[in-house]
Amino acid sequence: MNNTLGTIIGFTYKNKVKTKSFLITTLVLAIIITIGMNIPYLIKQFSGGDDGKAMQIGLLYGSQQETAVELEKYAAASGNKDYAFVKYEGGTEDQLKNDVKDGKLEGYLKFEEDPADMAFPKVVYAGEGDISQGLNTYLQGALQNVKTTMITKDSLTAEQIAALNKPVSLSSLDISDDAKANAGRDTEKNNNQKIMNYIIVYFLMILFFSSNMMTGNMIAAEVTAEKSSRIMEILITSVSPLNQMFGKIIGIFLVGITQIAVFGVVIAANVMLPNNVGMLKEFHLSLADINLSVLIYGLLFYIFGYFLFAVLYAAVGSIVSRTEELGQAVMPITMLGLITFYIGIFSINTPGSMLIKITSFIPFTAPTSMLVRIGMGEVPVWQILISLALLIVAILVFGWLSAKIYRTGVLMYGKRPSFKELRKAMKAYKI
Amino acid sequence: MVALQLDHVFKQYGEKTAVNNISLQVEQGEIYGLLGANGAGKTTTMRMVLGLIYPDGGDILYHGKPYSNELTRVMGYLPEERGLYPKVKISDQIVYLARLRGMSKQDADKSLRYWLDRFEVPEYYDKRIEELSKGNQQKMGFIAAIVHKPQILILDEAFSGLDPVNVELLKATVKELRNNGTSILFSTHRMEHVEELCRRITILDRSNTVVQGDIKEIKGRYPREEVILYTQGQVSRLDSIPGVKAVEAVEQGYHIHINTPDTAQLILQHAMAETTVERFEIKEPTLNQIFIQEVGESHE
Repeated sequence: MNNTLGTIIGFTYKNKVKTKSFLITTLVLAIIITIGMNIPYLIKQFSGGDDGKAMQIGLLYGSQQETAVELEKYAAASGNKDYAFVKYEGGTEDQLKNDVKDGKLEGYLKFEEDPADMAFPKVVYAGEGDISQGLNTYLQGALQNVKTTMITKDSLTAEQIAALNKPVSLSSLDISDDAKANAGRDTEKNNNQKIMNYIIVYFLMILFFSSNMMTGNMIAAEVTAEKSSRIMEILITSVSPLNQMFGKIIGIFLVGITQIAVFGVVIAANVMLPNNVGMLKEFHLSLADINLSVLIYGLLFYIFGYFLFAVLYAAVGSIVSRTEELGQAVMPITMLGLITFYIGIFSINTPGSMLIKITSFIPFTAPTSMLVRIGMGEVPVWQILISLALLIVAILVFGWLSAKIYRTGVLMYGKRPSFKELRKAMKAYKI
Repeated sequence: MVALQLDHVFKQYGEKTAVNNISLQVEQGEIYGLLGANGAGKTTTMRMVLGLIYPDGGDILYHGKPYSNELTRVMGYLPEERGLYPKVKISDQIVYLARLRGMSKQDADKSLRYWLDRFEVPEYYDKRIEELSKGNQQKMGFIAAIVHKPQILILDEAFSGLDPVNVELLKATVKELRNNGTSILFSTHRMEHVEELCRRITILDRSNTVVQGDIKEIKGRYPREEVILYTQGQVSRLDSIPGVKAVEAVEQGYHIHINTPDTAQLILQHAMAETTVERFEIKEPTLNQIFIQEVGESHE
C-alpha cells in the first residue's frame, strides 16, 4: 500500500502547486521580498549621492581654519567615500547657501567661536531639510576625532590617540550550571554567532508559525472539500485513511517547502545583487557565523512540529461538513499555534526562564521553546533528545487518533458530531 | 458463483434502524436491483457493502471471503452525489483514482481513453469537472467507477439526471459489463430500468425487506388483476359479471379490474357473445404497481 502514499503525495502536490491562488501568492510575496530587500539601496539612490559620487559638504570656517584643516585631514585618512569636504576660503554664507540651492553642496558646516568653550568651536550644520542619520553619525564621529587631536596636540603619539578612540569591548561569559554542563562546547560565545543565532531562531519561529497557519488551513480546507464533494467516499474505499491523511499532509508540506524554497532563492539572488553585496558585511555578519547545530535542531523541530499540528488540522477538517464552518472549527488549533509562537517570541531574551523550560518539554510548544533554549541559551543534549522523542511520540499518538477521527468524521454529515458519537464510532473503525 | 453475499445484515443509527436484516446474493455476471423509496436504506446497504460503514450485525462475504483491504482493487463505486474533484482535470483525477485502486499509470490512462472514446467525448480528457454539464459529470463519475475494471460494481442511482440518450448509453454499457462477468449491485427508484436490466431484486421499505426474488416469480406471485379488452362494438353490462371490480372505458375498448383470474374467462365469453373481440389480454402486474402496492400500502 506504500506506493499509494506516493501517489497521493504526488497528486496533492501537483494540484496544489498548479492552482492560480498558489502561483499568485508566491509571486506577490516574492515581489514584496525583492522590493523590501532593495529599499535601503533605493532610498540611497533617491536621496542624492547620485552616481555613487560623494556628498559635498561645504566648510565655512572664518577664523577657525585649524578645525577645518584637521577635519579634512581626518576625512582623507578615514577613506570614507560617501562624504567629501569642500573648503570655502573667505567665502560668505550667501555663497554657500546658493551652492546648496544649486545642488552643488549637500549642506555646509559653519564653525563659530564658542565663548563658553575655548577649546573647540561651535559647529552648525546647515542644509535643506533634516540632517540624515548617516551624515549626523559621520560628522559627530569626525568632529570628536578632530577635537581629541586638537586638544591633545602633540602631547600624545598617534598610537595613543588611536587607542583612545577605540571603543571599549564588553564580552559576556555564561557561568550558569547549564553552561558548565556543556563545558565541552565553547562557552564563551562569539558575539557575532549570538546575533546569527538570534536571527536563525527568530526566522525559524516566524517560519514555523506562518507555514503552520497557512498549510494547516490548507489541509483542513482540502479535507472538508473532499468530504463535501463526496469524493471521500470513493477515496476511503480505495486507500486506508492513514495513508490518505499522511499523503495529504506530506503533499501539502512539500507545497509549503516549495514556497519557502522559492523565497529562499529570491532572497539569495537579492543578496547577490551588486548593490546588496555589502549588506551582511555592514552588519559585521558572515554566513560562517551560522551555528550548524542550531540550524539542524531548529529544522528538526520545525518539521516534527509541523506534522503534529498538521494531523490536528486534518482531523478537524474531517469533522466539519462545509467549508463555511471550517474557520470556527480550526480556532482552537489556531490559538494553540499562537500561544506556541508568542511564548517563543517573548522569551527569546530570557531563554533560562521556568516557562520556557517547562514548555520546551510540551510537544506543542517545544518547536519554539526548545529552539529558543538551543539558540539563545544553553541546554544539555539529553534534554533536547527527550523533547524530540516526546514530540515524535505525540505525533504518533495524535496521528493515530486523528486518523481514527478522520475515518469516522468523513462519513458524518449534517450537524457536527458530539464527542460521545465520535467516540462510539471511532471504536468501530479500523484505520 | 456468488460474488457478493449479504446475510442478515443489520445497521442502526442511534435509536433508528437503518437496515433491518437484509439478505441477498449477487451472482457473478448479474445485475441485482435494490429498490426502495427515499430513505429506505439503499445507500446504507451499499455503504456497508463497500466497507465504508460497518454493519451492527450479520455478514457480508465477497467471493466467499470477508472484507479485506485487497477488495478495494476489485470494487467500483458510483456514489449518488458524484464524487469527483470539481477543479481537477478529468484525466488527472480519474487516472489518480485508478492508481489508488492498484492500476498502473499507463493502464489507467489507456482505460480512460477507451471509455472516453466509447462515450464519444474524447475531448473531455483535458477538461475540468466544473466545466461539464451535470449529466456529463455523471458520465465521468461512471467512468471513474469502472476505469479499473472492477469485479464488483456498486451503482447508486446511476441514471438519475441523465437524458434518454445517455440513459440508453449507460444501460448498454452496464449490460456489456455484466456480460463480461461483472457483478453489479444497482439501486434506483425507476422501475422501468430494473425490469430491463435486473433478473432479481429486493424492494426495501423503511429499512425492511418487503419483496425479494426473481422478477418473473415476483410477478407470478401477484394475481393478474387487469384485463384489456378491445372490441368492435359495445359490450353491455360488463360490471354485472361476478368478480369484476371496476370497468374503465377507453377509446378502443375497456380496461377491467378483476378480483380473481377466473373472472377473465367469464369476461371473454360475455364479450364474444355480444361482439367481435379484437384484443384480449390478462395483464401481469408491472413492477411499478407491485412497488406502489407494497411500499404505498404500508405508508398509509
